[in-house]
Amino acid sequence: MNEVSAQAPRPDGELLPAGVPRQAGAGPEAPAPRGPRVAGPLGRAVAAFTGRVLGRHQAAVVRIGFGLVWCVYLLREWPNRRVLYGDRSPLSLDLAERLLGDDGAFTVLPWFGGRLWFELVYHLAVLAALAVLLGWRTRVSTVLFLVTVLSLQNRDIFLGDGGDNVVHLMAVYLVFTRCAEVWSLDARRARLGRTGRTGRTGRTGWAKWTGVALWAVLGTALAVCQFGDFSGRSLTWTGRAFPYLGWAPLFWGLWTVAGLWWVLGRLRPDGEPRAVLDALATMVHNCAMLVIAVEVVLIYATAGWYKVQGTRWQDGTALYYPLHLDYFTPWPGLSALVGSALLPVFLISYGTVIVQVAFPFTLLNRRVKNVLLAVMMLEHTGIAVLLGLPVFSLAMIAADAVFLPTGALLWLAARASRIGAGRIGAGRIGAGRFGAGRFRRTP
Amino acid sequence: MGARACRDRAGEAMTETTERPGPGRVWSRPARAVLGLAGVALLGGTALFLGAVFLHVAPANSLSRQYRDEVDGIVYPEFEQNWKLFAPNPLQQNVSVDARVRTVAPGGATRTHDWIGLTARDLAAIRGNPAPSHVDQNLLRRAWDFYDGSHNPQDEAPTGARGKLAEQYLKRIALQRIGRDVDGERILEIAFRVTTATVLPPTWSGEAAPPEPKVRELPWWPVAEEDYRGLLG
Repeated sequence: MNEVSAQAPRPDGELLPAGVPRQAGAGPEAPAPRGPRVAGPLGRAVAAFTGRVLGRHQAAVVRIGFGLVWCVYLLREWPNRRVLYGDRSPLSLDLAERLLGDDGAFTVLPWFGGRLWFELVYHLAVLAALAVLLGWRTRVSTVLFLVTVLSLQNRDIFLGDGGDNVVHLMAVYLVFTRCAEVWSLDARRARLGRTGRTGRTGRTGWAKWTGVALWAVLGTALAVCQFGDFSGRSLTWTGRAFPYLGWAPLFWGLWTVAGLWWVLGRLRPDGEPRAVLDALATMVHNCAMLVIAVEVVLIYATAGWYKVQGTRWQDGTALYYPLHLDYFTPWPGLSALVGSALLPVFLISYGTVIVQVAFPFTLLNRRVKNVLLAVMMLEHTGIAVLLGLPVFSLAMIAADAVFLPTGALLWLAARASRIGAGRIGAGRIGAGRFGAGRFRRTP
Repeated sequence: MGARACRDRAGEAMTETTERPGPGRVWSRPARAVLGLAGVALLGGTALFLGAVFLHVAPANSLSRQYRDEVDGIVYPEFEQNWKLFAPNPLQQNVSVDARVRTVAPGGATRTHDWIGLTARDLAAIRGNPAPSHVDQNLLRRAWDFYDGSHNPQDEAPTGARGKLAEQYLKRIALQRIGRDVDGERILEIAFRVTTATVLPPTWSGEAAPPEPKVRELPWWPVAEEDYRGLLG
């Protein structure tokens, strides 16, 4: 047991190529070479790539972050949903389909025009975001998340800003991660199942069939969409241009693997085919985490390097200008105050460029990386308030979270659960580990 | 969720959750082949994808020109991205869009109405709002960018296939906000006026004041019943 790791962040200084911090649990989990082939750094790298879910806490935080961002966004825009993406959109379906015909972006909304279908998709989007946030049936909910995010955003591509853009990308990447290994209802269910606690209500027995039912329902739905005329050319097997892949291979592939996974888990849970599937899923996860990490690096590197060329960033007045744009000043007085003096404007302008340009290189040094990460998260918090872009900022913070150290995440989780436990009923925990805090007043 | 569940979830974070075969497992020959092939394919695919995204966000260069079709094929439509956030320079102009309409009375007399500040309405909704809606912050603003990017500012002629679409989009946004009629008279035509004002430089910069705001007036566009399709519900 390495419970202490929650209190004392272990010095997991070792970084993956892209700077994703190592698992806290690396100790007991570290590859124990048994086979004669596993030797040397290359062997260890291969073993880690195939056998270890790298950055599982970071994956969970990214999942929770983006589920939360999109859920909050959809609820905030609920009163405006029909104008933004629905039957009242100024970009009528005819106009939207002319654009879609050009670029072939994926959306299910034109399948059936009209309000009912739109309302179904929008509310499904809310549920999918909630399920992703809670980590409920993540293998399914991340796919529904992908479908609904793309469907809504591609309905009117002129609506989005950088925040929507990063949600769009992460919705795709998350499908390939094992993002429910920790801090999720999936992990909780797996643990209950393993420890043989079938629960007072026989929850695991019931839960077992939920998965099968979901699989059958979604398979049927997919088949109807695939073979129905209404879906047009959105579910093709091949693409028109390189890399010649349509959406059908992804959806049917995921569905098939899920079925195979379940069958093997029932028939031969300890057999090699199941272990191979498991290793494959881990490999896909590790690649997806690499993609997410590189994506975040590219975001900051691009933002930084292009700024270097800008005259306003060079003369140190850049910050002043966004603070005087009408569309991005919900609090004009506050913005004017922040942009009123030479020195702070200069320091923040130069600091922003330095931090963004430096960020990719700081991944080589854990401590500097963490400092920069904190600075960037603070800056995004400032942007959220000053420029009136809370969704954009929250999305960027969620993306940054992929680089947070595991120790910090565990510490946060422990704190969060202590507060949660205190609020929900410290009394029931009694002298439990998490009841020892300042919330233990309840008898 | 009960307290125990919370504690369990936290506890889980600190213990090993996975009981899958360790990395030291000895694989059979077919399994090794499958894993080896899959590993090569996955790493190759990942490298290809990341290379394409890199070339997409990097400045146009000799390599991205050489492999333009391949890069575009991977990146468009779903992985398109633009991270030139406030770069190379932050936007330094406030653009405000106004619209006015010409109506016809039941008797047949036409009347041209005053300018309606569409952007001004957006700003009123944004002021003091901690979470402005995309309807107020992005819809009209980006529709104007779309129009501006697809028209010649001299004669307002569309420069590409999307120009007409941009006009229709802008017109419908305005019509949705103005409605079918004004003062009980049906709307016949609509015209836009766009004022671009450069933000005054900071006092300490010593820069000269920017030129006066530029006003661009668009021609009258006819309004038909079908322009309202779906707009007002």
